[in-house]
Amino acid sequence: MPVFRWGQNWDPFRDLEREVDRLLQGMNLSFQRSARRFPLINLTDASDKFILTAEIPGVELADLELTAANGVLTIKGVRKPPAEAREDSFRRQERFQGAWQRSLQLPDRIDEDGMKAEYSLGILTVVLPKVAGIAARSIPITEGPA
Amino acid sequence: MSDQREIVRATAAAASDSNAADESAPRLLFNPPIDIYETAEGLVLYADLPGVNAEGLDLQIQDNRLALFGRVKTVAQPEGIVHEEYKVGDFLRSFILSDDVDHEHISARLNNGVLRVELPRASRTEPRRIEVSTE
Repeated sequence: MPVFRWGQNWDPFRDLEREVDRLLQGMNLSFQRSARRFPLINLTDASDKFILTAEIPGVELADLELTAANGVLTIKGVRKPPAEAREDSFRRQERFQGAWQRSLQLPDRIDEDGMKAEYSLGILTVVLPKVAGIAARSIPITEGPA
Repeated sequence: MSDQREIVRATAAAASDSNAADESAPRLLFNPPIDIYETAEGLVLYADLPGVNAEGLDLQIQDNRLALFGRVKTVAQPEGIVHEEYKVGDFLRSFILSDDVDHEHISARLNNGVLRVELPRASRTEPRRIEVSTE
């Protein structure tokens, strides 16, 4: 922040506002860090399908479960601490540990049989093909009795 | 503010210059979460680096500073996003090592987006007795 300014640009309130914003932002970050979700999920719409990606580093495939029912996709699993680490031997512990579960309401109907999932470099990618033929269907109208 | 990671700084300069040609978009840089614990042999460090493979990982020790830089393979922010909780970016974090870490024998392994670094304790030199003689 410039200490010295020319002309009428001097506006202490704006500076104050900006400072407060900055402080609040900092607080916000620390709140989120304490109550963090795991894993983080992104969902993209690629016209004929949805693609879900989740950052789940360090999970064994056997500990990963993916289910879809009634338009809700659920992923759950367990993230185990290293067997050799004792609870009191941690000097720093920031990584998520334990059982987790995330559910996501899918925006459109999904072809649940056509779903595919892949886990690579700690990122889970799920391809969710949309149900084809949702296009408007014309319904023939017959003339009823008068 | 769906992003829980601290954005250290967003910069294009952090990208290594070797293959920056195809990516003019600025790369985000994150501070990865870590665990450090003590074992009988020394210290073990874990860092979450989703999307980073062994080629993209750079681990350096200079003096007493251990720096890890993880470059993600794909940096393009996805298109058609419907729901977003994280952004794609590189990872950077550095640590000051204590003197009793044996710098020569640090080993690292990257598996499923998690880096594990073993920092063995340097073996202490045996106390040596100095004979004192009188005149």
